[in-house]
Amino acid sequence: MSFFSLISTVIVGVLFFIIYFGLSNFILDLVCKFKSNSVALENSVRVIIFIAPAFLVLFMFILYPVFETVRLSFYDKFGREFVGWNNYLWALNDPNFRRSILNNLGWLLIVPTLSTFFGLVIANLTDKIWWGTIAKSIIFMPMAISFVGAGVIWKFIYDYRGTGDQQIGLLNAIVVSLGMEPQAWLTISIWNNLFLMAIMIWIQTGLALVIFSAALRGIPNETLEAARIDGASEFRIFWSIIIPFLERTILVIWTIITILVLKVFDIIYAMTNGEWQTEVLANLMYDWMFRGGGDSGRGSVLAFCIMIGVIPILVWNLYRHRQEQKNEI
Amino acid sequence: MKFKLNLSSIFSQLLLLFFVILWITPTFGLLISSFRDKDQLAISGWWTSLINTEVSEIHRTKGKNEQSKENEVYFIRGNLFKEDKGKKILSFGVTSKNINAYIVGEKAVLKDKSEIVVFENGDYEWKSENEFKKKKGRRIFITAKSPPSFTLDNYKEVLFEAGLGQAFLNTIAVALPATLIPLIICSFFAYSLTWMNFFGRDILLATIIASLVVPLQMSLIPILTIYNDLGALFNIEAKSFPGIWMAHTGFGLASTTFLLWNFMKSLPNEMLEAAKVDGASHYDTFVRIVIPLSIPAFASIFILQFLWVWNDLLVGLVFLDKHPSEIILTAKLKELLGSYGENWEILTTGAFISMTVPLFIFFSLQRFFIRGLVAGSVKG
Amino acid sequence: MNILKIKKLLLASVLLVFPTSIFAGSGHYHYDGPDISGAKIKIFGPWLAPEDESFRDVLSIFEKETGASVEYGGSDEFEQIINIDCKAGNPADIAVFPQPGLAANIAATGCLAPQGNDLKQMVLDDYAAGQSWVDLTTYADANGNDQFYGIFFRVNVKSLVWYSPDNFEDNGYEVPKTMEELLSLTEKMASDGNTPWCIGLESGGATGWPATDWMEEIMLRTHPPSVYDQWVSNEMPFNDQKVIDAMKFFGTFALNDDYVAGGSKAVATTGFRDSPKGLFTSPPQCMMHRQASFIPAFFPEGVEAGVDYDFFYFPAYSSKDLGRPVLGAGTVVTATNNDPATTELMKFLMHPEAHERFMGKGGFLTPHKGVDKSKYASDTFRGLHDILVGATTFRFDGSDLMPGAVGAGSFWTGMVDYTNGKSAKDVADAIQSSWDAIK
Repeated sequence: MSFFSLISTVIVGVLFFIIYFGLSNFILDLVCKFKSNSVALENSVRVIIFIAPAFLVLFMFILYPVFETVRLSFYDKFGREFVGWNNYLWALNDPNFRRSILNNLGWLLIVPTLSTFFGLVIANLTDKIWWGTIAKSIIFMPMAISFVGAGVIWKFIYDYRGTGDQQIGLLNAIVVSLGMEPQAWLTISIWNNLFLMAIMIWIQTGLALVIFSAALRGIPNETLEAARIDGASEFRIFWSIIIPFLERTILVIWTIITILVLKVFDIIYAMTNGEWQTEVLANLMYDWMFRGGGDSGRGSVLAFCIMIGVIPILVWNLYRHRQEQKNEI
Repeated sequence: MKFKLNLSSIFSQLLLLFFVILWITPTFGLLISSFRDKDQLAISGWWTSLINTEVSEIHRTKGKNEQSKENEVYFIRGNLFKEDKGKKILSFGVTSKNINAYIVGEKAVLKDKSEIVVFENGDYEWKSENEFKKKKGRRIFITAKSPPSFTLDNYKEVLFEAGLGQAFLNTIAVALPATLIPLIICSFFAYSLTWMNFFGRDILLATIIASLVVPLQMSLIPILTIYNDLGALFNIEAKSFPGIWMAHTGFGLASTTFLLWNFMKSLPNEMLEAAKVDGASHYDTFVRIVIPLSIPAFASIFILQFLWVWNDLLVGLVFLDKHPSEIILTAKLKELLGSYGENWEILTTGAFISMTVPLFIFFSLQRFFIRGLVAGSVKG
Repeated sequence: MNILKIKKLLLASVLLVFPTSIFAGSGHYHYDGPDISGAKIKIFGPWLAPEDESFRDVLSIFEKETGASVEYGGSDEFEQIINIDCKAGNPADIAVFPQPGLAANIAATGCLAPQGNDLKQMVLDDYAAGQSWVDLTTYADANGNDQFYGIFFRVNVKSLVWYSPDNFEDNGYEVPKTMEELLSLTEKMASDGNTPWCIGLESGGATGWPATDWMEEIMLRTHPPSVYDQWVSNEMPFNDQKVIDAMKFFGTFALNDDYVAGGSKAVATTGFRDSPKGLFTSPPQCMMHRQASFIPAFFPEGVEAGVDYDFFYFPAYSSKDLGRPVLGAGTVVTATNNDPATTELMKFLMHPEAHERFMGKGGFLTPHKGVDKSKYASDTFRGLHDILVGATTFRFDGSDLMPGAVGAGSFWTGMVDYTNGKSAKDVADAIQSSWDAIK
């Protein structure tokens, strides 16, 4: 496509939605001017106008695929014959599945916690230092790198060459210069999971940092000064003033990162492909879904398990939401 | 007191420096690697290119066709280096069994009584009483001091590749609408979830949070099926730009709405109540009050969604043709990488080239970004 | 996939002999297709740079002669995309499969269109050992009936060992002609203080595959082809002693720290792309590298075929009467519909001119009898061709024929586990149980 047709397509596409909202609301206003007696009707029509596009998208792109996934999880690999609970039973007996569940739990415990914690600490540090903005940009940078690029970057960290050969992985170069044996990091069971998590933390801390550093500005200076005058240590201020103040921010960040971790796929796929006991649910799902002709039944079961993982997060978010609403009243 | 403060400030600075170094080292390694000779990538660590290092290399002399005859003695002369990169040879060898048998300038006597001398700058002279018979030259193993050396070749290779500009343009044509459309739709959606009362609101809210977790891989087939059916019905291409915009909108809907909802919840209630009293409709309130207040939030969500769309490979492969007129940047870079992924240097350079746009967006919207999510997550 | 099917497929691939004189007097006629202007054909395959340009060049002959327009697009996510496209119901007109096993899997979903008898006849007539190629592209359809689905276009030879003639000369090594010689050479190299082999299995999501090639080569050199076929079809279980022995044979190279560059720990983590570079370092990290004909693409820039590197046939035992087995692989072109234009393009790809054009671009080997051997881009490829010709037994890459979950799954991961120290028996048991799981 030529430059201009491309640009015009883009403009038409975006304008379409702006015009939709503008025009439909304009018409509604016009109609209501003549029939000003039915506020309730106006409001419900307005609600429909407001949520219709999002609802349609939600239905077509999220809910329908979810129903489809649940349906397929009861069918055979071609999606032709009904097989009942067979796929679920298979999953329960599959050692890879159990390994993935364990690994995913490890990821869920460690990555959101550390990303959030590092983000919080670094945000606090950058807040007070003149070169904080530069530091912030550097720590945000990994987010702008595609996963393909991140894979290469970390290869240059974890790469292993035999003893005596020149190491091209930084970690091994350091280890060797300290006089120790080089290690094939990604093959060391259990520990290798931590090395992979490091990549995710490296990427997601940027997200947490930027949001926190913004939130920190919202803390009234007087509160902090008062605490300092009272002789509270910086550490104490951090724990008893800053953390409670940022509680809701922490929930938002924790939710987003947890969900990203639940779906973590690219890192595993690019670095180990689940070898050496680093399998996670999303990579296992990909394997069953698309490898060797694909088995949509088993793939769907695994997808379903990932989706179930959201329930605790959902419950907590809704609970907090209710609490807040109560407080307002 | 003053002293104590300084101490803690120095400690903070050092701690931050530690984090910054930790975070930048991997990326820095990639940056250095992207300027290195591609064959060096797999042989030596990237940090070695920053300092004077000792390298071992194999070069080949010229063969019999280049020999000259002076006073009944045959000579082959030349320079081992194709281009001068400031390498200084320390020692050399003539067999793989002993790669530094001779110090530079020393005379190496071969089995056939011919003699080779190699000089520091790579010049060599090979002389023999008998005529040289072999068409291929002899291997010379050198150990040399190599100054830091960088090349722009990798960037040239990627940037001047045919079709890269088109791929860049295609990606922008995907990314801009795929970022703006969800923003428009979701801002109305988030508004109604926050400020309008209607039946099933809380269920909708729960659905949105639950939708955050739906793995994208599961949605591809059902959605493409719908597209194909629509395409067949109206006799249009199933894989098209509007198609991929809506797909990205779908995949970004939940997180965009979630973030906007969190933001709008924190807007001062009184302001909206006041507008209501003045008789403003929800639409007026939204356009006149909520949008201006939300610009920071929009900017921050814009960046996140843009980053995701820009770096996406899979959705682009599924919902667009792999033809040059529709191929996106990530797919194009993968294509340059080769069938077996043999052009490794493309990855390092490609990663930086494709990073420029998101970084530009980040820097230009950074001010908004910071203020944006602040308000979203902090009760104002 | 059902076992009977695979067995049949394999039995027919026995003895794929290339007659030496097939190139004598080949006619250089020109492709002359019907006028199908206005037709639009989409092709999807695994080829990326530079093969995609070579293939587009081949297609331009077709476009010029018929007036149709052809679009080729490639992706390294081929397997995933073809799955999605097929299930969503609108795949490209022509799909080029990197492995016949995958094509068989997709054929079973009913996504591919069976091809007519005239195309089949062309393969039978024009390809050396045509019947074997036909059988390798005959798969069960959605109802379990065997159908002929496509043609092989671009094959490669695996049974090769790459080396540096200079390194051999420096040390006084001779190119081994038999497996016995190769084994004693390996031992001699190690005792001289050299490292005989470079082996690298890392390949991202496909880590482990180079080791499956080793296994197949060893199976073909220690047992008759019929055993190989039983193994690939799982008539003989994967944990049979013969297979375990083959794995241990591989282990004598890969698990011996003196025999492999970087030691056995480096085998699974070294990229298959990086491993051959050890032949060209100073001093050399290894003396030999076993890999298929595509590997020179990964050699350092500037090394020259015949000068800096060369290859020899991965030899067979002289003491065992198993001939000269050769292992190969290839890409399968299939169609997803029977539109006249699509069918015409399939026929075009059987035309000598299509093959010769790709041959001239390099990286292309063909069993087509009607092509002019001088059209090969380099002596290397003529040499490869001779290895094909000299084969007494030709076998297709077994892991490509095994069901995807094994051949592109547990077999790969199993071999990685093996190089990491798991016992051959445990690995073989695990692979067999993964095979049982999908039956």
